[in-house]
Amino acid sequence: MKGVGGQTLHIDLTSGKIEKTPLDEQMIRKYLLGAGFLSKMLFDMIPEGTEPLSAANVLGFATGMLTGSMFPQSSRHVIAALSPLTGIWGESHAAGFWGPELKFTGYDAIIFTGASDRPVYLHIEDSKVELLDASGIWGKDVFETDGILRTKHGRQSRVLSIGQAGENLVRFAAIMNDRDRASARSGLGAVMGFKKLKAICVRGTGKLDVADPVNYLKHMDELYKRMLANPFTSGRAEFGTTSLIELMQHIGRLPTYNMQQGVFDGYEKIGGHAINRGYLIKPRADWSCLQRCGRFTSVSNGPYAYRGGSPEFESQAALGSRCGNDNVESVLYSHHLANKYGMDTISLGGTISWAMEAWQKRILTAKDTGGIDLSWGNHESIVRLTKMIAFREGFGDLLAEGSFRAAKRIGRGSEEFVMAVKKQEIAGQEPRAQKSMGLAAVTAARGADHLYSFPVLDEVGFDDEIRKRFGEKYLPQMADRLNPTYKGIMVKECEDYMVVVESVGLCKYGTQIPPEFYYEDVALGLRIHNGLDLKVGELKTIGERIVNLNRLFNARFGITRKDDALPSRLVKEQAPVGPSKGQVVELDSMLNEYYTHRGWDLKTGLPSRRTLRRLDLENEGSLVTA
Amino acid sequence: MICANVCSMFYFKVLSPTRSRVRVLRFEDGLDFPLFCRNCEDAPCKDACPEDAIARTSKGILIVNNAKCTGCGACVKACPYDAISINPDSNKAIKCIACGECVKRCPVNAIWITTEKDLKGRDRDNRIALLYDEHKKELYSKGEFL
Repeated sequence: MKGVGGQTLHIDLTSGKIEKTPLDEQMIRKYLLGAGFLSKMLFDMIPEGTEPLSAANVLGFATGMLTGSMFPQSSRHVIAALSPLTGIWGESHAAGFWGPELKFTGYDAIIFTGASDRPVYLHIEDSKVELLDASGIWGKDVFETDGILRTKHGRQSRVLSIGQAGENLVRFAAIMNDRDRASARSGLGAVMGFKKLKAICVRGTGKLDVADPVNYLKHMDELYKRMLANPFTSGRAEFGTTSLIELMQHIGRLPTYNMQQGVFDGYEKIGGHAINRGYLIKPRADWSCLQRCGRFTSVSNGPYAYRGGSPEFESQAALGSRCGNDNVESVLYSHHLANKYGMDTISLGGTISWAMEAWQKRILTAKDTGGIDLSWGNHESIVRLTKMIAFREGFGDLLAEGSFRAAKRIGRGSEEFVMAVKKQEIAGQEPRAQKSMGLAAVTAARGADHLYSFPVLDEVGFDDEIRKRFGEKYLPQMADRLNPTYKGIMVKECEDYMVVVESVGLCKYGTQIPPEFYYEDVALGLRIHNGLDLKVGELKTIGERIVNLNRLFNARFGITRKDDALPSRLVKEQAPVGPSKGQVVELDSMLNEYYTHRGWDLKTGLPSRRTLRRLDLENEGSLVTA
Repeated sequence: MICANVCSMFYFKVLSPTRSRVRVLRFEDGLDFPLFCRNCEDAPCKDACPEDAIARTSKGILIVNNAKCTGCGACVKACPYDAISINPDSNKAIKCIACGECVKRCPVNAIWITTEKDLKGRDRDNRIALLYDEHKKELYSKGEFL
């Protein structure tokens, strides 16, 4: 196999034993690498009944087939484990340079089992692999850890680590790499923290031989030309994702006041234009990235002064509109702190905004919060809580559990407005304004999630792409964000494609928004880079297989149709204001369409025997005791 | 890093930043520096080479004669700019020869081939020069960063 490292590392943190195994080509043909590879490895290694925060949990890191290649946006790695936030399949991804660096060591993936009894970090320098004492960096933040390890092991090294939030087992702790890139969702930072694994420092000086070196640059020139000519690319460079605030306000999809509504009066103050005017230093790209959505910003003085990588739309929405906060400097700063301590900003803002609604409804009072005022938009409290959550101080200790568990403990009706699916906070898409996002949030394997399917084709007029990818007969309904018709089909097809994208190591930018590259381009990449000849139909089947295997994983942890549910606010209460006023999410009809299209049982929401046979998943299916 | 990939692919038909003739360094204040050979007039690499394997073309570009190069690394030690290194596969010294393959593929047009005089003309407010001065100590390592 060309274009890959060729080996997987297996590290048992309990015994300190390190083993290496060669890649299995048969497995690659069924699952590729990245998300697919980890889906299969962890399904086989994590039996039902496993506790997320126990030595029995398995934590996997994997690069994709094209990670480290020249394919546009091929910078990504995937991390997976049983999630301490949801108790089911946990998966998270990030861009940066860490993944490609790992590739150049000759390793494509690392699987950690067991747990260490003292802090350790993994150091990989080409074929040399060693577990080292981390007592000197335990307790340090993400930026300090990066600095210390790169001073020690060479500045060309790339560092992935947890901050204090992961050490303190915050249930939505992130795993950070290259300082400000976050594998944020699913709380996998807490799994690292539990295993006492502080960091993975990587330096690879090797090379990737490619399958078609003669024509490689010629093909890449063509892909680059297309990516740069796409009208979205220049806007992405100019604003990153920050101006989605303005766009989402325009369609009434901007989560505000804990998703009570989808429009926010102060949106302009936290939007992309405000950030470009006052705080942007430059856009930054990751490995082979032409989209360069990364922002490098600073607040130059005052209580919220910092300099670093941030923000993006999800953080602006979570820490801004969702909390009723129009103080942009506090939004930027709390995002910066979340990077520093290593936390998911979506769950952070989602949990704080839940507490703010509880305060609004007088369910929480100063007695509960230790005197912290939780009025909407109190930016000082948001910033203060960000730190208190990371360190589990005072009221922060409760919020570090995430909104679902916090509400369970507080009770008094506060469970009613937990804006989560399967215990994970819903991301920045008010689904009453975009029905496909409501469906995607409930079908995603890792709990509430916009990225597993990332059904953005109905967002802003991608009619041509819908025509190309699905066919004329689905128009105009599929392109209408408020019409539930055909959204089950769209979400299913997008999931299949997105898990393939996560398995080859590409970004959702360039493959889904803008929808420039599709299966045939991925197939081209696999052919010229890896020498892997997979047809479009075969890739689609791989995508379906991975989604079904993720579902089987979750089924072993008790997930069925009953769990594919949105908070009642979103399905029962009409959106009160804005362009989507009067809308609710018609979840049941969309789910029926989705299950039907998937070949899943309408009652249980689980894959039928026939579906499993078609996808060669019968053995895996037999392990699920329904 | 697209420039680095273009370089290793164009010359060695592999992907490998360590086999590229450009180095890219990222700084914590947000700056990225792609670093190339500047074809110094007093070329310490040329003087240091015991095999006389480094010569200057009529256009002023220093090139390595692979037939003569033994990969001893004297040039690497002599270069103050980490601009020449040894390719571990061929054991020959490699350096940027200003071919322009990365220039034409840089998606943000951040690279161009220039002279001191031309650069002064482009950098009228002295911004590039000042940023360079501010970081120059950290840019070069006498081989340690390679």
